[in-house]
Amino acid sequence: MNRSTEAVLLTSASVLAAMGVALVNLTGGRGPDAQVALTFIVFMLAFGTIHLSVRRWAANASPLLFPLAAFLSALGFTAVYRLDPELAAIQRWSLLVAAGVASLTLFFLRNEGVSVLRRYRYLSLAGAIALLLLPLLPSSWPLGGAEVGGSRLWVRLDLPLAGRTLSFQPGEIAKLLVVVFLASYLADRHQSLAAMRRKIGPISIPEPRQLFPILVAWLVAFGVLIYQRDLGASLLLFSAFIGLIYAATGQTSYLVAGTSLVGLGGIAAYQFFDHVQRRVASWVDPFDDFTGTGYQLAQSLFALGSGSLTGTGLGLGQPNLIPAAATDFVFAAVAEEMGLAGSVAVLAAFALLIAAGFGIALRARDLFRKLLATGLTLVFGVQTILILAGVMRLFPVTGITLPFMSYGGSSLMANMVLLALLARISHGERV
Amino acid sequence: MNQAVRRLAVALFVAFGVLVGAATYHQAVAGPEYRDDPRNARLAAGRTGRERGGIVVSDGTVVARSVADPNDSRVFRRDYAEGALYSHVVGYSSLLFGDTGIEAAWASDLGSGRNSTLSGLLIALTGGDVRPKGLRLTINHELQTTAAAALGDQRGAVVVVDAATGAILTMVASPRYDPNTLLGSGASQAGALLESDPSQPLLNRALNQSYPPGSVFKVITAAAALESGLAGPGTEFADPIALELPGSTATIRNFNRGTCGDGTSVTLEVAFVRSCNTVFGELGLLLGAAQLVEQAEAFGLNRAIPFDLEVLDSRIPPAEEFVNNEAGLAQTALGQRDVQVTPIQMALVAAAVANRGEIMTPYLVSEVVNAEGEVVSETEPARWRRVMSPATADVLAELMERVVTSGTGTNAAVPGVRIAGKTGTAEIPDRAPHSWFIGFGPVQPEEGTSTIAFAIVVESGGTVGDEATGGSVAAPIAAQLMATWMAQQGG
Repeated sequence: MNRSTEAVLLTSASVLAAMGVALVNLTGGRGPDAQVALTFIVFMLAFGTIHLSVRRWAANASPLLFPLAAFLSALGFTAVYRLDPELAAIQRWSLLVAAGVASLTLFFLRNEGVSVLRRYRYLSLAGAIALLLLPLLPSSWPLGGAEVGGSRLWVRLDLPLAGRTLSFQPGEIAKLLVVVFLASYLADRHQSLAAMRRKIGPISIPEPRQLFPILVAWLVAFGVLIYQRDLGASLLLFSAFIGLIYAATGQTSYLVAGTSLVGLGGIAAYQFFDHVQRRVASWVDPFDDFTGTGYQLAQSLFALGSGSLTGTGLGLGQPNLIPAAATDFVFAAVAEEMGLAGSVAVLAAFALLIAAGFGIALRARDLFRKLLATGLTLVFGVQTILILAGVMRLFPVTGITLPFMSYGGSSLMANMVLLALLARISHGERV
Repeated sequence: MNQAVRRLAVALFVAFGVLVGAATYHQAVAGPEYRDDPRNARLAAGRTGRERGGIVVSDGTVVARSVADPNDSRVFRRDYAEGALYSHVVGYSSLLFGDTGIEAAWASDLGSGRNSTLSGLLIALTGGDVRPKGLRLTINHELQTTAAAALGDQRGAVVVVDAATGAILTMVASPRYDPNTLLGSGASQAGALLESDPSQPLLNRALNQSYPPGSVFKVITAAAALESGLAGPGTEFADPIALELPGSTATIRNFNRGTCGDGTSVTLEVAFVRSCNTVFGELGLLLGAAQLVEQAEAFGLNRAIPFDLEVLDSRIPPAEEFVNNEAGLAQTALGQRDVQVTPIQMALVAAAVANRGEIMTPYLVSEVVNAEGEVVSETEPARWRRVMSPATADVLAELMERVVTSGTGTNAAVPGVRIAGKTGTAEIPDRAPHSWFIGFGPVQPEEGTSTIAFAIVVESGGTVGDEATGGSVAAPIAAQLMATWMAQQGG
């Protein structure tokens, strides 16, 4: 596979998105209209920009990443358009902005690559913490937090001149900064963290001071859970941390310790927080409180079941019955109208993307880049698995977006930058 | 370090394997259960939610249409504007109870082509029309209304057909139901009530209920006699009080328990006009089973009637069953015993006489119209079968006209209109008899007027009870139909 194949695949994804829009129009009683052309143009523009940036500044990058992202974006965009064309119009802008930011990322990293980021370790950490705290600002301020669906993860920025409000989820960007910090920190400290002299049986036991960072991370994650009531981001940050520290040290004991802390935290959260109890109750039996807490998950299951093998056909299902169908539950909307065939295609695309990410990590020659690629792939993969497991009732619903498919500009931008970083890392290995 | 990364990768892929398993379980294994869960609002919204084509009758009266939901232009509600009047013609399209009537038989035209298939997309992208098509039915709204009003609360059915084309102008069965109640909220209770109703309002008695024909079957017996040359209208028969049946202690008596004529002899014509059982019993014996059954099958009994909707086959036992059963044969010639006919079959018998021996294929849909209102296909009248010679049909028509002018069917008369008909009073055990009237009119119509043929059956005496006869209960309905029809033709 080379760059030209990538261009062909990106074009195919743009055609796919336009065809999706055309089908939705068709089943909705409208003919092919400007939306079809507009969608094709925006997809071509966005992924064309990225493609050219990759050619210019990361010519040896893996050509797998962006075509898969384009494919997922196309399916997700179709689902969003089908649910609400107005949201889709905003999503098109988000796609352009995300592509622009991803291209800028490649531009800034053009000379020294991601190694530049290693120098900004503590700036990254400070930035991540600041971003995570942003939503706690009072809602009355021009730049303030906002509570959506019981979780406080949004920041609202009033633009006095334009008279409009811009809202974004800083947590999405924060997760990248956290990974940058962790990769940088662990690249320096992995030896001291890996050296364990005490043993109980076959398991090495870390010194208390070695456990200090993991406790800090746990507290941060728990803080996110308490103050923002965001189960998803909390789990995501913590599992990325545990995964990375395991990758850096190869010590299973960190996994054991981390998992125990997740368990402890989970039990504590269940004891103290109503919203966690509700999530768990609706997971155990969504039909018990069908009209209340179980409604969303029950609708998701109905959507999956109604989709069956080949789906109802685009525009012919009723995915609008699922609460948050355009954001967290977009997978259920796709599964209803595209069936098991569509869901498996989506799962396969995500798995391939994650495989490509781990492949880049395995080939990376220096420690920081290896850890960075692993961390980025981990947050991407864990996020995907968490929300999909929630939608399919394997795990309580965590309320995070499905990368590239959910409606939402922050998520799209963060994941596009994530891929740009992975692309830049892979560029370095293929000289 | 790479080993740890590989292990992490494996862990995530295992998770993906579980996700694929969960998707397969929810969509393929548990799918139907979720889909059919009564709490799944998709059930109610699903099929009734799509746009379907409109259905109008010949004068443009809308009998079914899809109304867009004011909140969601993708969701449509089916509306049967005429309610129960057309329940057995149009049927319903309901998720809970499926589709019936025209809604089922013409579903592919009425449904939307917006089915998300590649071909659908290509058609739409090339500017083709995927919108649902509409139907124009042959039903004459005024005749349909007249028939329904005339039947009133009585159980039974009325079928009117244009004799020269086969177009069904009226199809009313009673009791009926309002198809609107089978959609939307409360549909399941409404449906359960209708299904358990002993009067069977869901049953289309015009097509799917068979009755003993009684004396209206004499049209078929007479046709067999005329076709075989065995007898003509002037042929004389003995006129006993009772016909002794060979090989049996049973006898056949006339309706009035007396003789048909003066007690010595009577012509076939008089016997037909007065509907004398003794003469037709003897005629049946003279004809033999083979000829009688052959003639009945020529009229369409024991055959599937080709139609837009499913029709129950009318039945006469095969000729072999009458070997050594002359009593059965004589009673069959009177339309009793094991003959069972549907109202539409008897309307076609009348139409065969009116149309000089030929039955046209009955049809209910005259035009298929696209969303622009352009006619995309039209039903061409087609001959179904020749039943008898034109000469036989002409003689029968004369006999039937005399039934209305001076026989058992005078209640069907309309001043100034030549109407032909035959009454029937079908005896059934333990209940009041079924009243029949079949016929047609106007006989030999003027230019610009067409002849309609009809069959009317009123179950178990209707509102009259034990004293009911075809002449007293069913024939007046024919008069109302003819009056309505002639008023239209005049205007």
